[in-house]
Amino acid sequence: MHPMSRNATRPLGAALLLVLGAACGGGEKPAATPASTAPAAGAGGAFKIALIAKSSTNPVFLSARTGAEAAAKEASAKGHAVEIMWLTPPTEDGQVQAQRVAQAVNEGAGAILLSCSDAAKVTGAINDAVDRGVPVMTFDSDAPQSKRFAFYGVDDAKTGEAVMKELAVQMGDKGKVAILAGNQNAPNLRKRVDGVKAEAAKHAGISIVGTFYHIETPQDAAAEVVRAQNAYPEIQGWAMIGGWPLFTPTLLKDLDPKKVKVVAVDGLPPMLPYVEQGLAPVLLAQPTYLWGYVSVQKIVDKVLNKQDVPVMNNMELVRVTKDSLGKWARQLKEWGFTDVQDKYVKLP
Amino acid sequence: MRSLLRRVFASPQAGLVMVILLLGAVLTAFAGTHPDRLTGLPVNNFLNSHTLLQTATDASFFAIMAVGATVVIISGGIDLSVGSIYALTGVTTALVLRAQGIEAGGTGTVLQAVVVCLGVGLLCGLVNGALVVGLRVHPFIITLGTMWILRGIAFVASKAESILLPSSLTALAKATLGFGQALYPVPLLSMLLTAACGAIYLERTVMGRHVFAVGGNAEASRFSGLRLGRIHIGVFALSGLTAGLAAFLGAGYYGSASCADATGYELYVIASAVVGGASLSGGKGSAVSAMLGALLIVLIRQSIRTLHLDQNYEWIIIGCAIIVAVVLDQSSARLTARRLARQARA
Repeated sequence: MHPMSRNATRPLGAALLLVLGAACGGGEKPAATPASTAPAAGAGGAFKIALIAKSSTNPVFLSARTGAEAAAKEASAKGHAVEIMWLTPPTEDGQVQAQRVAQAVNEGAGAILLSCSDAAKVTGAINDAVDRGVPVMTFDSDAPQSKRFAFYGVDDAKTGEAVMKELAVQMGDKGKVAILAGNQNAPNLRKRVDGVKAEAAKHAGISIVGTFYHIETPQDAAAEVVRAQNAYPEIQGWAMIGGWPLFTPTLLKDLDPKKVKVVAVDGLPPMLPYVEQGLAPVLLAQPTYLWGYVSVQKIVDKVLNKQDVPVMNNMELVRVTKDSLGKWARQLKEWGFTDVQDKYVKLP
Repeated sequence: MRSLLRRVFASPQAGLVMVILLLGAVLTAFAGTHPDRLTGLPVNNFLNSHTLLQTATDASFFAIMAVGATVVIISGGIDLSVGSIYALTGVTTALVLRAQGIEAGGTGTVLQAVVVCLGVGLLCGLVNGALVVGLRVHPFIITLGTMWILRGIAFVASKAESILLPSSLTALAKATLGFGQALYPVPLLSMLLTAACGAIYLERTVMGRHVFAVGGNAEASRFSGLRLGRIHIGVFALSGLTAGLAAFLGAGYYGSASCADATGYELYVIASAVVGGASLSGGKGSAVSAMLGALLIVLIRQSIRTLHLDQNYEWIIIGCAIIVAVVLDQSSARLTARRLARQARA
C-alpha cells in the first residue's frame, strides 16, 4: 500500500467549497467607478487598463488607484469606455508582478500600467506583453530597458537631492544625518539614496552617519528609526526618502523636535501631525493620486486618441510645510483620502 | 477498459486531480470572455492556452521545490530554507556569469549555469543535512537558521542588486518549443519531469523506501540497520537540489536574480506538500501529490483574480484551505484506523 493516503484528497473538496463560497459571497467592493470592478466578461467592449502597482497594502498605491479610476470615469464620459483592472499583488514581489502582467494580457487587457518592484524581473514580461500587442506604461518606478512606451514619476535622483537640500536648511547646514532608505531592492529608492548622498557631499558641515534599510511597513520603519537613533544619539537629521515611519504617530513621542529634524518624501494624511508639531517641518509630497490619474490619461491619449506621448513624463513634488498644511489637506480630501483630520482641512 | 478506469479512480491522486478539474470547470464557466486581438472571436478568460500555461508556470517553481521538500517531510523533517537556497543559487549563478562578462552566451553558458545552480543547491542541502545530523538539533531550528543565513549571504553578495542573467538562459526557460507566441512550456515540462523522478525515487527505489521507513518509525528503522544519518543528509541534499533546479528555471525565466527572490516560498512549498497529503509527522507523502498540491494552490490564487473576487481574501482562503485539508485528513485517518480495528476484531 502506498503511504500516501487516499483520504488526503478528500479534504481538498473542502478547499474547493471555500473558493466557491467566496465566489458566491460577492465580488470586490464597488469602487469609485462602476467600471472599475466589472468582470472581463461583462465589459461590453470597454477598454481595460490593468493597474499593477507594487503593493496593495501601501496607501500611496490605493490613492493611485483612485486617481486611475477617476481618469477612467472621465474618459468614459467623453466617449471612450475605459475600465481599470486592479491586479496589484498584496506584497512587493517582482516575480508576481511579472505573472500579473502575463495574466492581464491573457485576460484581454488593452493596456497595462505598472510600477516596477524589480525592473529586471518585469522587463521580460513587459516585452512579451508589447510583442502581443498590449502597450505598457510605467509609473513611480520605471523599467527603462523594457519596451514600455512611457514613464510617469518623479526624477528619483533629484528627489533625493531635494530632500537633503531641505534638511540642510532645517539643520543650519551642519550636523549628522541618517538616511532612511526602505527596501534595498527598489531601484528608484537606491537612486534617491544616491541623490541624498550627492547633495550631502556639497555641504561641508553635514556628515552622513549611515543608510538604514527596512521592510516597508510603518512599524518596521519606525522601529528602524528608533534603533538607529539609540545607536547613534548624535543623529540630528533624518533624510527619509519615503514616508513609511511617519504613517504611524509613534515617532511623535520617540523623537524630540528640538533635537532632531526630519524631511521626508510623501505627504499622506497620517504624516500631517509631524508637520504641525515641527518634527518634519518639510514634506516633499508625491501627488500619488496623479500616478493613476495622469498615467491613465496618457494611455488614453496614446492608444485611443492616437496621440504622441513623451517617453519621460516628470511629476513635480509638492512642498508641504506648516503654511501650506490646510491647502494640502484639502487637496488630499478631494483626491479621496478619508483619513484627513478636519482640523487640518479647516486651516487657512 | 473498466479495470483501467477503476485503477485511475483508485489512484491516490485521483481526488486531487478531480478537484483541480472541477475548479477549472467552475473557473471556465464564470471567467467570462474577451475578444481575441487578431480574430475578434471571443476567448474564455481562463480556458485559453496562455492562461493555462501561465498558471502551470506560476506553480512550477515552487512545485519543483515541493517535490524535494516532500521527501524531507516524509522522512520526518522539515526544510524552511528552500526559498533562501533558491535566492542564493540564483544570485551566485548570476554573479558567476557576470564576472565572466557574459551577456548573451550559448550552450556553454547554460551548462555552466546548470552546474552552478545544482551545485550550490546541493551544497546548501548537504550543509543543512550535516548540521541536522551532526548537531542533533531539530531540522526546524537548523533550517530556520540557514533560511536567514543563506538569504543574508545572497544579500551581501549581490549588494541587494537585481542581477541580469545572460539571454541564453532566458531563451532556454522561455523556449516556445513550437507551441506558439508567448507560450513557454519549459517550466511546466520541468515540473512534470521532476515530479516523475520524485515519484520513481520514492516508490520504486530502495532509498525511497528507506525514507518512508525512517519517517514512519525512526527507532524501528535504526534497529533494522538503516543508517539514519545518511538518509537525513540525503533528503536535505535532494531538497537543496530541487531548490537549485527551481532557481535555474526561475532566474532564467524572469531574466534576473536578486536576494529577495522566493521570499516566503517556503510556506507555499510546505503548504503544497501538506495539501498533497504529506504528514508533518513523517512517513506519508507523494511527489506527484505535492505537485498537484502546488497546482491547486496556484489555481485557488488564480481563481480569486479570474472571478474578480477581492484579492485581499487570498491569504485567508489559502490559509483556510490548508487547515481544513489537514484537519479533515487527520479525522479521516482516525476514522479509517477505527474501521480497520473493528474489521480486525470481527
